[in-house]
Amino acid sequence: MLTRRIALRTGLAALAAPAIARAQKVGGEITLMAYSGIFQDNYTKAVIEPFIAANPGVKVNFTSAGTSAQMVGTIRAQKADPQVDVAIMDVTTSTIGNIEGLFDKLSESEFPVLNELSPEARAAGGAFGPAVTFDHLVLAQDSALKPQLTKLADLWRPDLKGLLAISAPPNIQGLALTAMVEKMEGGDYRKSIDAAIRRLRELAPSVNTFEPNPDGYALILNGVVKVATAWNARTQLVADQSAGRVVPLLPPEGSVFQINTINLVAGAKNRAAGAAFLAYALSQPAQKAFTERMFYAPTNARAQIAPAAMARTATAPDIRARMIPVDWNDILKMRDQWNNRWRREVIAAAR
Amino acid sequence: MNTRLPLLLLPAAVFVLGIYAWPTLLLLRNAFNEVGPTGAMIPAWSLATLRDVFADGFTLELTRNSLLLSASATALALLLAYPLSLFLFRTNSRWRGPLAVVAILPMLVSGVVRVFGWLAILGDRGLVNSVLQSVGLISAPLKLVFNWTGVTIGLTESIMPYMTLALLAGFGRLDRTLEEAARSLGASPWRGFLRVTLPLSLPAIALAGGLGFVLSMSAYITPKLLGGGRVFVLATEIFEQATTNTNWPVSAVLAIYTLVLLLALLALAQLASRALAR
Repeated sequence: MLTRRIALRTGLAALAAPAIARAQKVGGEITLMAYSGIFQDNYTKAVIEPFIAANPGVKVNFTSAGTSAQMVGTIRAQKADPQVDVAIMDVTTSTIGNIEGLFDKLSESEFPVLNELSPEARAAGGAFGPAVTFDHLVLAQDSALKPQLTKLADLWRPDLKGLLAISAPPNIQGLALTAMVEKMEGGDYRKSIDAAIRRLRELAPSVNTFEPNPDGYALILNGVVKVATAWNARTQLVADQSAGRVVPLLPPEGSVFQINTINLVAGAKNRAAGAAFLAYALSQPAQKAFTERMFYAPTNARAQIAPAAMARTATAPDIRARMIPVDWNDILKMRDQWNNRWRREVIAAAR
Repeated sequence: MNTRLPLLLLPAAVFVLGIYAWPTLLLLRNAFNEVGPTGAMIPAWSLATLRDVFADGFTLELTRNSLLLSASATALALLLAYPLSLFLFRTNSRWRGPLAVVAILPMLVSGVVRVFGWLAILGDRGLVNSVLQSVGLISAPLKLVFNWTGVTIGLTESIMPYMTLALLAGFGRLDRTLEEAARSLGASPWRGFLRVTLPLSLPAIALAGGLGFVLSMSAYITPKLLGGGRVFVLATEIFEQATTNTNWPVSAVLAIYTLVLLLALLALAQLASRALAR
């Protein structure tokens, strides 16, 4: 029976509903730490601006500390008083943050979007922040180079002497290249990298620089080198921006995934807004927009990516088939040893 | 002495304690931490990192490279800066002021910009190689960057202005009347320089050399950008360990080791300067 009291309560609840909904909406400022340069430009357009449009009460400050390792170092230094709410970085460094307690674990009850992610994306972060982008190593080459490289083994061509920019370890491009060359030689990086080191030592005299600065693309565009190790997404973008002067090559011998994870900083000042941003970044619209803009492969398995863009990412079926299964945690454990072998055996052969 | 005089040190002392001593203590603390197999830092009071760093032959190579590179850059810079400074000290030209500004002009330009300038000059398609190839002196470009040669040239240029200023400051002891006395006693200009001017300027040389050496030892940008990943020195390794490997303990140990090495070298330079001044 509808009493006067029930009617009054119902009426008041109806009046208060919009206010309650508004109160539940997130607000305030958050700080997102990720890569600067073209990543920042494109991520801002594809993800941050739509997020702000949907959450007008939130201001997103973008900051970068440089490389992933520098980012985790900054967050480590701010552990007592975190200044960053959300961080996007390479999985090799976010793993360090997870172990050190710098990032929060994420639950499916709080983040239902986790159920939309591919198994690889969930596995990348374990119980912590999952993968937000996939990428892979390619060879960026000058379109003027004749004949064009068609496989990894072409790097050893005599006409390329002095025309290669190879990022050596501890840069993860160098680590990925080591695993790729070992595979090319019929080996398995988990057992030994002897074959790779032998081949890379032969390659060393052809290398112009083991530390391309500002990056391999600039060196190609300035005519300093003809080929550089590079990540696919940026190379695809530079290829478009340079009107085809820079051409990406996915070696038929195989490549290695690079994974960026998105992480909620433990003790973040604005956790609610940070969590909302993280959920949005993993959502289908954000993943679609960023992939179609910058060719990082999506981690949300339900995102409907335009076929033309998808074909240029790491998750295109023909590209995926060529990926070498690499556990970055395994490589991290061997990183110092690989680094020393590069310095003493490979780079020493190039002096 | 006025007993309140030491109070003048107070502002600088507070400033230095705040921005230098405290971070250095934190650095020292990090040197005792350990690093797990995946790179995570484990808080500890352990000497394991210290032991590992000094047991690694690469540390010796880094030290040798740093000392050799600093010594060669300092010697080259001294050869270039000494006559320049002597000229600026002696000249009565009205262009003395502008010339002195030109000599120290590189100090006013960002180190990164200067290094990229050197890449444009010394690169395979740079100014030097283009000119040499166009006049037929060489058929293939000389490798002047991304190696030891490039780093030495870049470092020499970067420390020269500081050494020029140090030499100018140290030339205060040069007494022209002594040189004139030598000349009046029959010494040739060259002999007068070798027997009078040079000995009198030795303290200035020691001061400038010490400064140039220390600046070279701690230089990061030049070896990093002009070395092409082939030149390994203490400064680049400290940065690499901290920012690429996330290995703060190793980075801290190497930083403290470099600091101690530099302090020892500065003390030696100071002793040499005093001995030469007597």
